[in-house]
Amino acid sequence: MPLDTSTTYPLTRLRLDGRRWNELRLLQAQISTNPASSGSSYLSMGNTAIMCSVHGPAEGRRGEASGAAGSAGAIVEVDVNVAGFASVDRRRKAGGSDKQSSRIATTLRAAFQSHLHTYLYPHSTISIHVSVLSADGSLLAAAINACTLALVDAGIPMPGLLTGCTSGMSGSASTPRDPRNDELDPLLDLSLPEEQELPFLTVGTTTCVPVGENHMDDEEEETKVAVLNMDSKLHCTYIETMLAVGMDGCNQIRELLEGVIKGSNRG
Amino acid sequence: MSNQRQASSASQTPHLSPAELSYLYTSLSLPKSPIRPDGRSPTQFRPLTAESNILPGTNGSARIGFADGTQAIVGVKAEVEKTVLSTDTLASGEGGESTAATSGHGSWVQMSIEIPGFRDDDALPVFLSEMMRESLVGAVVEGGDGGGDVMMAGGLKGRLVINKRWHWRLYIDVLLLSQPLSYPLPLLSLTTHLALLSTKLPKLKSQGEEDPFFDDDWEVAEYLYPRGSKLKATSGLASQYVRPPVTLLVVSVGENVIFDPSREEIAVADAVLAISVTRDTEAGNLKLLSIRTIDPPSRLTQPAVPNSENVNMLGATAPTEDIAVLNPATGEEEVPGVWRPRRGGVKRSVIANMIKTVLKKGGVGEEVLEGLEGVEVE
Repeated sequence: MPLDTSTTYPLTRLRLDGRRWNELRLLQAQISTNPASSGSSYLSMGNTAIMCSVHGPAEGRRGEASGAAGSAGAIVEVDVNVAGFASVDRRRKAGGSDKQSSRIATTLRAAFQSHLHTYLYPHSTISIHVSVLSADGSLLAAAINACTLALVDAGIPMPGLLTGCTSGMSGSASTPRDPRNDELDPLLDLSLPEEQELPFLTVGTTTCVPVGENHMDDEEEETKVAVLNMDSKLHCTYIETMLAVGMDGCNQIRELLEGVIKGSNRG
Repeated sequence: MSNQRQASSASQTPHLSPAELSYLYTSLSLPKSPIRPDGRSPTQFRPLTAESNILPGTNGSARIGFADGTQAIVGVKAEVEKTVLSTDTLASGEGGESTAATSGHGSWVQMSIEIPGFRDDDALPVFLSEMMRESLVGAVVEGGDGGGDVMMAGGLKGRLVINKRWHWRLYIDVLLLSQPLSYPLPLLSLTTHLALLSTKLPKLKSQGEEDPFFDDDWEVAEYLYPRGSKLKATSGLASQYVRPPVTLLVVSVGENVIFDPSREEIAVADAVLAISVTRDTEAGNLKLLSIRTIDPPSRLTQPAVPNSENVNMLGATAPTEDIAVLNPATGEEEVPGVWRPRRGGVKRSVIANMIKTVLKKGGVGEEVLEGLEGVEVE
């Protein structure tokens, strides 16, 4: 049987690694892994492994703090480094950084700059350093989750956990969706071989922890989309399904991360 | 950031006043019994945690974390490559082709170091990687298969040869996970050593000059540095096997020799030396591979002014307090308690003492190598 999602999936309804469409990969995480930083975390989703460390909030370097943004609140700096041994073949980097890691860094910076309560720390910098030790798909989603854990470890206030997840379709999905003959399934948490072949998007959501006098009344937690990133081509009729599946994955991951955070207190 | 990047010498110097530097220097240079700021003995290392084989996607990997929070991760990847003999290897030496194809080439080992805040091509990472690479490829066992292994006859370079037309190319990627708090060389070297110990290459199925063809069962893969069976290792014969070299950082302060210096200790050192050692397969003891001096940062510190030369203190002190004495270690005139930047230079006896402490039986080098072999590589 060829290792090809688009041909074998309709027959078996099982993906390359044996998962069903709505199953996450094994997620393991740890916080406070590096005592030299304000906050740090290690997170692995399947074979994707990421270490993240946070420094700050600390006084920004001279020159940068003079900017207008510096006075209003903390500036978030993100530095992403994909190790040379992370993927199957060793990748040689020319000089500084490559396109993939700088895109992830930009997305992370934008997401956390608006997510964190930065107004509490004027004239300061929060610097996040992400190292990808092993890359097997869902890099941006795993990086979002690792950063959230490290920021929680650093004690930086935020309205809720920001978690990320990928979702895709089990075929090219280039024609409009036919509701009577729907043979494509949405897929949750894509691995690298699936990412290379199928259209997918990364979604990051957050919940607001209910506060105020009537916070006990709210049964439903309100979920908000904070990050949405898509590089592949897809017919627009499929987007809604993918988003729903991705947001559901984010909620599953949020529960897992909450378990990690609460569990680390006991040790 | 910009002046931090320029620092090619022993990492960033901490901001210590001349009085603090002088205090540190005096306590570290006390004859026979130096007092270190963290209370260690001169040959004692900082506690560390180590684990190996942590990344399933690499041929070998290791992580070491020092107690101060600095961590390094090393991943080793190997690729098969066709041996192309360049014109200079053909031209150089006797019988060009055969020597290069059978004894290996230094450029087959590539090393890159990533330090946060530094670019790949900054001076510090490049200098560090070259320093560690040269001792790796330079470790050639003389006398071939005497007590050790036929496989490691040509050292690491020889091990990478598959046949005359093919060879392995080894990529060693070092990742420092935090800003270097002290000169990162010992951390990086120990981690690299551990990663290479755990490195496995797939078992070769083809023979002779055929195109290489490997067994796809990872269980039968062979270690890059062959190791003995458990039985042999416990009976003390482990020393027969070739081991990757380790580079130790040693500083001298006065007549004293201090191992694994912290950043404050490097800041007042007279000389900073990187000493690479490996096991000698024949005799079972240690062999010196290389010594490099590292520009000590104490050279760049501000000098203190003795009271006799200080205008503000004119007439306030008795002139007898400021008698310059000869520092026995450097041969310079100094006023006790007044910091003077080191001008470099160290006595031969001190260097000899350093090397002796590393190499002697039961010495520091042996202790470090044994400690690293104790890390379970399963």
